Amino acid sequence: MGNLVRNVTAIAGKEMRGYYGSPVAWVLMGFFAVVFGYFFNVYLNFFVDQAMRGGQFGAPPPMHVNTDMIRPLLANASVLVLFMLPMITMRSYAEEKRSGTIELLLTSPVTDLEITLGKFLGAVSVYAGLLAVSLIPILILFSLGDPEWKPILSGYLGLLLLGSCFLALGLFVSSTTANQVIAGGVTFVVALMFWIINWLADSAGPTFGPILNYLSVTQHFDDFGKGVIDTTHLVFYLSFIAFSLFLTLKSVDSERWRG
Amino acid sequence: MIEVQNLTKRYGPFTAVDDVSFRVERGEILGFLGPNGAGKTTTMRVLTGYMPATDGKAMVAGYDVFTHPIEAKQRTGYLPETPPLYPEMTVRDYLTFVARIKAGALRRAERDARVQQVMRTTRIDDMAHRACGKLSKGYKQRVGLAQALIHEPEVLILDEPTAGLDPKQIMETRDLIRSLGGDHTIVLSTHILPEVAQTCQRVVIINKGKVVAVDTPENLTHQLKGSASLYVQVEGRTSAVEAIQDIPGVRRAFISDQHDAYTGYEIESEPNHDVRRDVARVLVTGGWGLIELRPMRMSLEEIFLQLTTNEQAEEARHG
Ligand SMILES: Nc1ncnc2c1ncn2[C@@H]1O[C@H](COP(=O)(O)OP(=O)(O)OP(=O)(O)O)[C@@H](O)[C@H]1O
Ligand SMILES: [Mg+2]
Repeated sequence: MGNLVRNVTAIAGKEMRGYYGSPVAWVLMGFFAVVFGYFFNVYLNFFVDQAMRGGQFGAPPPMHVNTDMIRPLLANASVLVLFMLPMITMRSYAEEKRSGTIELLLTSPVTDLEITLGKFLGAVSVYAGLLAVSLIPILILFSLGDPEWKPILSGYLGLLLLGSCFLALGLFVSSTTANQVIAGGVTFVVALMFWIINWLADSAGPTFGPILNYLSVTQHFDDFGKGVIDTTHLVFYLSFIAFSLFLTLKSVDSERWRG
Repeated sequence: MIEVQNLTKRYGPFTAVDDVSFRVERGEILGFLGPNGAGKTTTMRVLTGYMPATDGKAMVAGYDVFTHPIEAKQRTGYLPETPPLYPEMTVRDYLTFVARIKAGALRRAERDARVQQVMRTTRIDDMAHRACGKLSKGYKQRVGLAQALIHEPEVLILDEPTAGLDPKQIMETRDLIRSLGGDHTIVLSTHILPEVAQTCQRVVIINKGKVVAVDTPENLTHQLKGSASLYVQVEGRTSAVEAIQDIPGVRRAFISDQHDAYTGYEIESEPNHDVRRDVARVLVTGGWGLIELRPMRMSLEEIFLQLTTNEQAEEARHG
């Protein structure tokens, strides 16, 4: 157990060094900050506008900063995440295979599980860094008004879990190829499928409809935005992550046998 | 220290390593010699636990690499064909990372000292702060070697450690490897023959996935000189061929070079017959002016060619 933590930490640290040592993490962070800042601004103006208008007619303002500003903002962030996260994981295994450094990892006294967990946690840390950037404007809201912090916290937990699903998925796709562009593209397409799968739910009939709905990653995100942490959603996200990491392990192992 | 038994590795239907067996004793330097595609890298990858064998068994430092991979890997240093470097990491950061995954039990200060020490051994201290991707080929190779040494393994597996280096770097690397022998058990692969004679105590010659010979470089040159074994020179343009061929134990003799001043003969003897004394006596008593008599030692190069072409000839006959 001590070894596991130690090796996973070492590999996660190396992964983060790799991300921050190359332009990837910085470009993503800059991009995320700009787009998120833009959305923030749009929603803020809209919110202030609506609130003022509501006040003019003497009625109490019908707007709430949590439900009418932060929630849609985080929903937008979740779309951004869909587009950006494949770029984080695309190189994880693919690049190691292309450059031959996978030979170092696979001949070191660490287990495949430690390598996979290390890579996953490294990617999650970089993603958490992105989310931290987006917290800055939200903190400004606290200085201006009095938003509730609980839905914000659960919303961010939802974002972290949702993103971690895509990262685990991306890791698996990356482990099946030595080409990082393919890894990124395929991850995006598959992630998109899990995103929109519930659109088909209505036409899928009474048996498959609920299944498709259940598989949709967005369905599970909504409650987090409302400030509700439901165990079914937690279980869904955690199983999604565990299953993707399991597939990654299998893929690395079968690659081993094939040579 | 290393024991390979009936190792077979197939890639799909293609057999890259075919029923290979050999042993390496503690402290020995073993050369793994073979042409391109012989299966050297494949064998090493099985030994280092990078991939499992299709069949057979490999033990390293007392551990089966398949059933006890972690224990075996803790005792094995591996330099792959291309040094596995992360281009954006500095040499020191890279070695520190490798130390963390290979010698995780070390405390920070010990680890830093270890990194410092292997950088000194492989003479890369002056590049400690250079990004690995910006190093010259020779330095990359040395960082690769440093990486293999970092956890003080008992066994070193080096895949073509001198490939792509300039002659000076090759000499330095060979010296380094020789100096590591004794403390370490080393297997190195190469297709450069003099390298084996200079650095290794024993040679495994492999061709098309099969072991064709295992011996010391000296023995290989002795044993396999087989037929063409003696060279003699006598004064003037002469023909002593018949006289020589009458000597018991001589299979064949022919003139190999002829000048006004002397004639040279090559004499093939039956295996395990030393005909030098008889040849000398016959020539001297027969009145030929004997100038020179020496065993013809085949270079490893010739043995190698002979072994591998024999194999091919045989294959052609069978198939
Ligand atoms: N991953 C693989 N998939 C399929 N075939 C492979 C694979 N790796 C190697 N081979 C084949 O196996 C044979 C042995 O290859 P190997 O790399 O072990 O040879 P080698 O002796 O190291 O050659 P070289 O001197 O060129 O490095 C070759 O014919 C090669 O094409
Ligand atoms: Mg090779």
